[in-house]
Amino acid sequence: MTKGLLTTTVGSFPKPDYLTRARNQFSLGKIGREELAALERQATAEVIRLQEEIGLDILVHGEMERGDMVAYFAELLTESMAISGLVRSYGNRYYRKPIIIGKLRWQGPMTVEMWRYAQGLTDKPVKGMLTGPYTMVDWSFDEYYDSRREAVLDMAGVIHQEAMELEKAGARYIQVDEPAASTRPEEMALVSQGLAVVTEGLKAKTISHVCYGDFAKVFDQIVDLPVDQLDIEAANSDYDLLELFRRHPFDKEVALGVVDVHDHRLETVEEVKEGIRRGLEVLPLERLYIDPDCGLKTRTWEEAAAKLRVMVQAVREVKGELGLES
Amino acid sequence: MLTTVVGNYPKIPNRPRPARLRAAIARFERGEIGEDELRGVEDEVTIEVIEEQVEAGIDIVTDGQIRWEDDQTYFARRMDGFTIDGLIRYFDTNTYYRQPAVTGAVQWREPVTVEDYRFAAAHSSQPVKAPVTGPYTLAALSTSEHYSSFGELVLALARELRQEVLALERAGAPIIQVNEPAILKRKEDFPLLHQALGEMMEGVTAEAHLYTWFGDIEGLFPQVLELPFSAIGLDFVMGPANYEVLRRGRFTKKLGLGIIDARNTKLETVEQIVDRIQRVSDAVAPESLYVNPSCGLEYLPREVAQAKLARMAEGVRRAQEVLR
Ligand SMILES: [Zn+2]
Repeated sequence: MTKGLLTTTVGSFPKPDYLTRARNQFSLGKIGREELAALERQATAEVIRLQEEIGLDILVHGEMERGDMVAYFAELLTESMAISGLVRSYGNRYYRKPIIIGKLRWQGPMTVEMWRYAQGLTDKPVKGMLTGPYTMVDWSFDEYYDSRREAVLDMAGVIHQEAMELEKAGARYIQVDEPAASTRPEEMALVSQGLAVVTEGLKAKTISHVCYGDFAKVFDQIVDLPVDQLDIEAANSDYDLLELFRRHPFDKEVALGVVDVHDHRLETVEEVKEGIRRGLEVLPLERLYIDPDCGLKTRTWEEAAAKLRVMVQAVREVKGELGLES
Repeated sequence: MLTTVVGNYPKIPNRPRPARLRAAIARFERGEIGEDELRGVEDEVTIEVIEEQVEAGIDIVTDGQIRWEDDQTYFARRMDGFTIDGLIRYFDTNTYYRQPAVTGAVQWREPVTVEDYRFAAAHSSQPVKAPVTGPYTLAALSTSEHYSSFGELVLALARELRQEVLALERAGAPIIQVNEPAILKRKEDFPLLHQALGEMMEGVTAEAHLYTWFGDIEGLFPQVLELPFSAIGLDFVMGPANYEVLRRGRFTKKLGLGIIDARNTKLETVEQIVDRIQRVSDAVAPESLYVNPSCGLEYLPREVAQAKLARMAEGVRRAQEVLR
């Protein structure tokens, strides 16, 4: 297989209706933990099959067992975190925000079992998916620590331990997402320190997905983040940040988002190819990965599949034009 | 020394109390109930949150902004010249609003908040403050294609929102509160803010307050004292530098003292509240203080918000004894 222009996804997949229904029933106490877990595994198997069928190179397990990327971990850190009452996020949407209530410490594997199950279903590598320490803290209330720094660094210890467990289980790619990173440019140093703790000593390839922000302001710090690969959105900002890459070369790998996950509209193969070509103008193909802008969980199953098919087709055609085998 | 709130209040309680407004909005969106029925639930919830504030010991309440989706679109949807775009993050919070887009000349059509004020005032045993999103902040949090400069848009909005302030004054609002958090993020625009608010408030005789949050007024003091308001509200939680600023000169207006963290569930102690009040007591006389949370309370679960207000009122009572 030619190295370069490998395809992947950011992490989440849409939950099938039967799983959404089961999650509701579980929260109402109508079905048990075991029954829900069985359906989560069923959906995970479907996510893996879909990615294999579409022909992606590096797979994800789809996060069928997670509702919210912060609350999932908070609920398992029972000794140091709790879940609050409802807080509005926008419109008529509410969520339960986690609360740090004690000293953060790792209590046991949180993601390994599901990763192992998903990896057991495929020969392609499946990424281990973690939420970064800065985002974990920023999106939680804090009733224990006096400083954000202390909280982030202790949380980083927890996530580091989890990353080590994933690596021990055989994960070759470990993604640590920090979507909160770009909201407060003045705290980018703290984001970086947290990630440095998480990735220290890992041999697996480390990835961080960063989104929703003004990249230009924090560009220098983002390209210095202590991970091997940056996963960034580009399609929904018309590839503006490629211009930054051109002016400030750096040596990390980049996973470039080429389909907009917040838009129902299906991109054409031609426009995705154009995005890939623009990526290739500033990054060598062995350092360029191709994926959607962000997690796919806000799309329907059919929309997600259609966008990924277009993306994979575009990559095949670009490779063909470059004389590379797919 | 009076207690007040900055503006919004959590719209739904937690179990076992029912989330009636959330259910009603969902039913309205599915077309199962009409506007009148939704309005009825909004009315009931407004009364409920006014009672919760009064019960907690708040002297000057708001209607909780129960009918507001957010500070921007509540005005933008009801004025000419705006369309509403996609979701965007509100400052550095994990809360989103739909971003208004200015696509034509902005124009005030009819009162936006006057009926809300009247309803709240008729159902409150305490005075009700009327919040208005300021022209600078509304412009800063919108996109604009229509005006040739940002400054022009701000001044146009100031002229139009002036109609809202005058309408609230005619309705008898005892305090009109103009909110301008965005100026703390671009302090170099202060001359523009000054001009806009000057035009907006010209000839207004009702008591008017200006509130900011999510930062400090370092660099804007003492100029803020020139603004046409009798009180200025500051956030001392996300803007701890405000304590230093106040040491630099006499604060010749009343001060909205935002010392209760409205973005974290950790409950302040009475001692902390007294201590924070004492820290500003050299610069501002106790009778010139409005003690309030650092910003609107919607970042908190409803029960925590009320507990914080009750604790705040307790802290203020203790401070009054200590400072006497
Ligand atoms: Zn993202």
